[in-house]
Order: sequence, then C-alpha cells, then structure tokens
Amino acid sequence: MELPKTPIVKVMTTSGRGATVDEIADRCVKNMIHIADSAHPEVSRQAREFEKQILAMLKVYLTQAAAGERTTIYNVLLNAGQHELAEMIRKL
Amino acid sequence: MAITQAICTSFKVELMGGQHDFRTGADAMKVALYTSSATLGPTTTDYSATNEVAGTAYVAGGAALTQVTPISSGTTAFTDFADVTWAASTITARGAIIYNTETDGGSGTTEAIAVLDFGGDKISTAGDFTITFPAADASNAILRIA
Repeated sequence: MELPKTPIVKVMTTSGRGATVDEIADRCVKNMIHIADSAHPEVSRQAREFEKQILAMLKVYLTQAAAGERTTIYNVLLNAGQHELAEMIRKL
Repeated sequence: MAITQAICTSFKVELMGGQHDFRTGADAMKVALYTSSATLGPTTTDYSATNEVAGTAYVAGGAALTQVTPISSGTTAFTDFADVTWAASTITARGAIIYNTETDGGSGTTEAIAVLDFGGDKISTAGDFTITFPAADASNAILRIA
C-alpha cells in the first residue's frame, strides 16, 4: 500500500472557459473502459472499436445535456427579466 | 517546504483499527488543495488549513469525494474515487490531501489518507480545475492492497 513518488492523478485545468464535451467524454470513456496491455489482440481490437462507439455516443448525450442546461439558465434569466443575458446564453 | 506523495502512515494504522469505510455512501471523504508552500508527506496525519488554497469557487476544507466500493482483481483489493471538478474557479494548487471527515470508531474528523503531488503548480483561471484519478484496476487504482 504505497504511492509512487511521481504524480498519480492527472489535473486538468482550463482558463476562461469550462471543459468541452470532447474533453469530458474522453475522461469519461477512460474511466469506463480499460484494455489490458496483455489482452489478446483480437479482444483488444474489439474493445477499442467498442470504446470508439461509446465515445461517440457520450459526445452526443453530453452535448444534449449542455444544451439542456443552457435552456434552463436561459429561462431562469428570462424569468428574472434579464433578457439580454438570456440571449447571450442562448447564443452560446 | 515540499509535498511528497504518499499514503499517510497514520492512515495505515487507522485502517487496521477499522476506522475507515470506503464503501459507496459510507464515510464522507474529501479532497483539499494546497499551495507549493505546504509541507505534506507520509507523516501528515490530518487535514489542515495551513497553506490550503484560497481562490474563487474553492471552499476551505475542499470538495466531497464520491467513493467507489472496493473490489478485488486477482489478489489485489482496490478502491477509487470519482473525478472531482471545481467549476468556474480561479485556483493555483501544487498538491492535495484526501481525508476522512467521519472516522469510524475514532474521534477525529480530519484524518488524512493520502497526499497527492501534482508535479507542479496547476492553475485554473475562471475555468475548471479537475482532478482525474487513475484507472480503477489492480495495477493503477489510487488505493490498493496487494
């Protein structure tokens, strides 16, 4: 039960923006699918194909989630009388 | 002043005393961020606010972690945490402490588990600051007992 002296976690930061759908999807798929270096080549190939399909699907749904969140924020701002801000959010 | 990545020695003792429960929804664990001025390592026993990060969207004490119930593969048991993000933050951090806020059978609420070194200052400016834990398997998971 020890940790290596070199960093074991990855830290990802952004400046002036949030993480993109692509960045989050990449992180997500790496948490979902692990392919052992020792895996049989055919198993590895199938797993990587599966990984690609999952990644593509994740991007679609994450994009929808982001759009849904923007719609919610748009309506919150609209209901608060902040029409200009609401439009800015809608146009993101 | 240095941050040395390690499993805290006090945690190993507490683990043998049954004072930590890593199952999902069990003990509430957190991760706190520190500046390069902090001195942290295997002898760290508790969360401390000394040299803890201060910045937009960062609350003292750090962020809650979501545990993944421990499992085994071969002869190795391991556990994992969900990635954690400080959104819309302005943060400069060099390392972190994972700690338990409700030690089972113990009296403390700040018991350190592990010290993480980021390898350099990591900076978010009005952006996201995300810690990604390693793959949850017998060779890479953040906490493993072989």
